[in-house]
Amino acid sequence: MTRREAAVAPRESATGAIYDLGYQGYDGPRLGRRAAFATLFWASLRAAFGLGRSGRSKIVPWGLSAIMIVPAAVAGAIQAIAPGGLSPFNYDNYLWDLSPILALFVAAQAPELVSSDQRNHVLSLYFSHALARSDYALAKLGALAAALFILAVAPLLVIFFASILASTDVAGAFGDQLGNLPQIIGSPVIHAVPLAALGLAIASFTPRRAYATGAIIAVYLVTGAVGEILSEAGRGRLSQVAPLLNPWVLLDGTRTWLVGKGVPDSPVSDANLDLWVFGLLTGVLTAIAIAAVLWRYRRIAA
Amino acid sequence: MPLISTQSLTKRYGSSVTALDGLTLDVEPGIIGLVGANGAGKSTLLKILLGLLKPTSGSATVMEMDVATRGPEIRQYVGYLPEHDCLPPDVSATDFVSHMGRMAGLPPAAARERTAEVLRHVGLYEERYRPIGGYSTGMKQRVKLAQAIVHDPKLLLLDEPTNGLDPAGRDEMLDLVHRTGTEFGIATVVASHLLGEIERVCTFLLAIDAGKLLQSAPISSFVERTGTLGVEVEDGADALAERLAGAGLTARVDGRSVLVDCPDERPYDIVRDAIDEMGLSLTRLEQRRHRLEDLFRAEGRTDDAA
Repeated sequence: MTRREAAVAPRESATGAIYDLGYQGYDGPRLGRRAAFATLFWASLRAAFGLGRSGRSKIVPWGLSAIMIVPAAVAGAIQAIAPGGLSPFNYDNYLWDLSPILALFVAAQAPELVSSDQRNHVLSLYFSHALARSDYALAKLGALAAALFILAVAPLLVIFFASILASTDVAGAFGDQLGNLPQIIGSPVIHAVPLAALGLAIASFTPRRAYATGAIIAVYLVTGAVGEILSEAGRGRLSQVAPLLNPWVLLDGTRTWLVGKGVPDSPVSDANLDLWVFGLLTGVLTAIAIAAVLWRYRRIAA
Repeated sequence: MPLISTQSLTKRYGSSVTALDGLTLDVEPGIIGLVGANGAGKSTLLKILLGLLKPTSGSATVMEMDVATRGPEIRQYVGYLPEHDCLPPDVSATDFVSHMGRMAGLPPAAARERTAEVLRHVGLYEERYRPIGGYSTGMKQRVKLAQAIVHDPKLLLLDEPTNGLDPAGRDEMLDLVHRTGTEFGIATVVASHLLGEIERVCTFLLAIDAGKLLQSAPISSFVERTGTLGVEVEDGADALAERLAGAGLTARVDGRSVLVDCPDERPYDIVRDAIDEMGLSLTRLEQRRHRLEDLFRAEGRTDDAA
């Protein structure tokens, strides 16, 4: 730091002297684009959980986080009281059973991350810094995906620790459970990245939060319903591909393909399809969604 | 070294709207007033200098860096105050300015330190911890200025910094801009449609109209050439104009007023004496030179004469 104005004027008062140091210039390091990217990522991740915001903006993300974890905690507690009892939840069916909570989180928080910047024209400030437009899009995508990952991995970790602590042989149980780690980490990643991409692809196209939230919920409800109707009513090949229309079935299929076992009686187990089809479609959809977000921010006026 | 330099810079929106039309200029550091009517191309020029907009043709450099190829580098050293609202309502001024400081590349500790400093400079104290949504327009403008200077820029681009402020707020904001430019030594471009504001704080003036450069000169030379005194009398305007012309002044009648060109202070005494001796009842005496229309009309006349 250098001092451009040398005049230091002490002003005496009852409590002491006030020094007017004048304007301080800044000669320290300027960290550039990567630091700006990291700053935006962390600030957006905090914003996804309402941290540093008013109490009101914490209600939805914290409420949904609580709902997401409580079933796992309760199941864990029951296991601790009555060991050996069969828990209704495992690493395979947990995210499938609680998928509506993940959907609500995306619907509520994707607009929180991007719509407000558009509505309040904060974008023109971001773009007037050493940040490329694609940086903005990727930082927001990364932040939402990270938030969803945290939301999804937390209950799986609760199950993980609960089953270790509930067993009589803690060390042995730890060894047994370690083998589940790829699933505990992989399954939330498989859900978080595509959901974040789809959510932001929708939310980035409107500055109005309510529209974005409504549109995201509508997409999940409508695609799910259409898939359901087609598989009930359709025949032959149409009913066979119907599960692919439902994003949740796609994600569960991809998860089953890559890291876990199928959930009994779920559309994935009932569908007469190779599992890689789910994975391929999820990958293609995610890529299209990410491209849409990047395209949107390249074109948007600021 | 020129601070800003443009060569036949042209920006068209679609096929019909031309915001900048072959603009060529060179600007040295200082406090530069960029004046023009609404739609003259001021905001477009600032956005091109920032690299927010791509010019249709032509080129521009800021601090000898080409805006087309070195945008991110330029933006590290530029502070920008947009014309419109640009603040999130649910964040406090401290958090927001500090966040923007880090976006501009300051390390966390430096960002916090400089945030406290610039918020004090712009005159935000206790309220800095409350969400911005509850601020008055004047306070919001101060936050906008604070985020533009938090990273100690080499160049400050201010787009209508007094937008939406009441007269007292305008005075305070202009004073802040002047102090920021002089005490801090930050080269500043102030875009405004109010010539009076530009004249108060700037040392150099750029006038643009319909995307073309109209005038580029130190403010002192500008004011001299365009100074006009409006003398409004009950009746007898024609006689007064005749008499003033006889005394060697350039005077013309405009309704009940006589417009007298004032290249220096001499006409004031002559006008006073003439009114007194002719026994006219004076209703109004005003400086007309501060009005943008007059400035542009005066330029038109000069062109005709040349």
